[in-house]
Amino acid sequence: MKKNWLFVSLLIISLFSSICSAETVTESVTAVGPKAQVEQTVNAILDVLRCDVGDEVEQRAQISTMIRNKFDFKVMSEGALGRNWKVVSAAERENFVVLFSRLLEETYLGRIRAYTDQKISYGEESIRKGRAVVETFIHNAGVDIPITYKLIPHGQDWQVYDVVIEEVSLIRNYRSSYKNILRSKGMAHLLEQMSIKIEELRQRSVSDDSVTTSEAAA
Amino acid sequence: MKSYLISIVLLLCFAVPVVSAELPVDSQVAAEAEFANEPYDDLYDDDLYADDEDTEVSDPLESLNRGTFWFNDKCYFYLIKPIARGFRIVPQPVRTGIGKMFDNLKSPLRAANSLLQFKFKQVGREVTRLAVNSTIGLAGFYDPADALWQIKKKDEDFGQTLGYYGVGEGFYVVIPLLGASNVRDGLSLIPDSYADPIPWLVDSKTAMALTGGSIVNRISLDKDTYESIVVEQLDPYLFIRDAYTQNRRAKVID
Repeated sequence: MKKNWLFVSLLIISLFSSICSAETVTESVTAVGPKAQVEQTVNAILDVLRCDVGDEVEQRAQISTMIRNKFDFKVMSEGALGRNWKVVSAAERENFVVLFSRLLEETYLGRIRAYTDQKISYGEESIRKGRAVVETFIHNAGVDIPITYKLIPHGQDWQVYDVVIEEVSLIRNYRSSYKNILRSKGMAHLLEQMSIKIEELRQRSVSDDSVTTSEAAA
Repeated sequence: MKSYLISIVLLLCFAVPVVSAELPVDSQVAAEAEFANEPYDDLYDDDLYADDEDTEVSDPLESLNRGTFWFNDKCYFYLIKPIARGFRIVPQPVRTGIGKMFDNLKSPLRAANSLLQFKFKQVGREVTRLAVNSTIGLAGFYDPADALWQIKKKDEDFGQTLGYYGVGEGFYVVIPLLGASNVRDGLSLIPDSYADPIPWLVDSKTAMALTGGSIVNRISLDKDTYESIVVEQLDPYLFIRDAYTQNRRAKVID
């Protein structure tokens, strides 16, 4: 009789512990959702921008790492070239990915700097067919700008492969512009223009920073 | 015997939660493999290698359009921007309120076009917004309809109505001073202007001044969008052409 009791109680204990561990297993499988991941990254970048301590280069490098963690630049580059991706040479493709990543980084940084003081709210997230869509809104002077991130999963991490602002898909837009440039002037010209543009944007952000710091000092 | 059976059942209960915890991972993997074969669904299924030949907007007047675009750009930087910069002396909340007042005056236009598209719920919303914002919202300066009761506006104009009835957008046109448009939407500005209350209420000179004022006000609130496009893009003309087209097509569908 006592032996039975012991046996049954042991089984019940192991049953409960298996349920608990099963729950934690499920939780670690679903982990942090795409909306939470986007929110984390955006907040982290805004924190670095708002705090504005430490030297510029380090800040820039920090933000750069955060952006590259969250944006899948390779997929974005493929999307930006579209059918031309398969047409150009491997070296040109590699070159394009490097340049396009830098261009997007500078552009995103420039945009986010303009919106450091604005409130960002997060809407719906939905996951379907292995892709995620996260809605966010920027509240800027009484107008709400809807910004939607489209993400693909890499294991536990979700990475952005397109940004849709006011119903305009950025990648589709770049694809359209670049296709025209490729058609009229060719890949070499496109790559050259991109390098020039990256330098321009870098100069602008450097001069912006020096302006703000001198204003802060004044 | 009984306890033996009970222990079997309990062991099964032990096994099931662990097995079911495995399933979400497998279904995710399966989903990723399948999506390549699924039909196009816009938001979720982008064909990364698409050529967009059929979705590209036709631009037979490209050189003329680029010329007008250049002209508009100069007007912006030499005419509108300096005035908008001066106008920024007015505190931002006031300028936001002014923007809302002009927006409120567009309610009849939105209501009429929602009606033509059989969007009856939206007609109700626009009429309510006009009534509420004009009274409690002090002639539209505030937007209590949205702030308090979440009655949101939805942009509808005659170009979208024509699109609803299947009229194609035509080719891309850059209108002097007004900017990006296309054949259908550009011509629709004429019937749209009849729905604008301002010309009915004041004389034409004041009406023009007010329209100009609304543009200056809007730019004073948001100069970044246009200027950043010009700075960041390799070809701002192409960027705006595509952005405008995507945006209009999405608006016609909604």
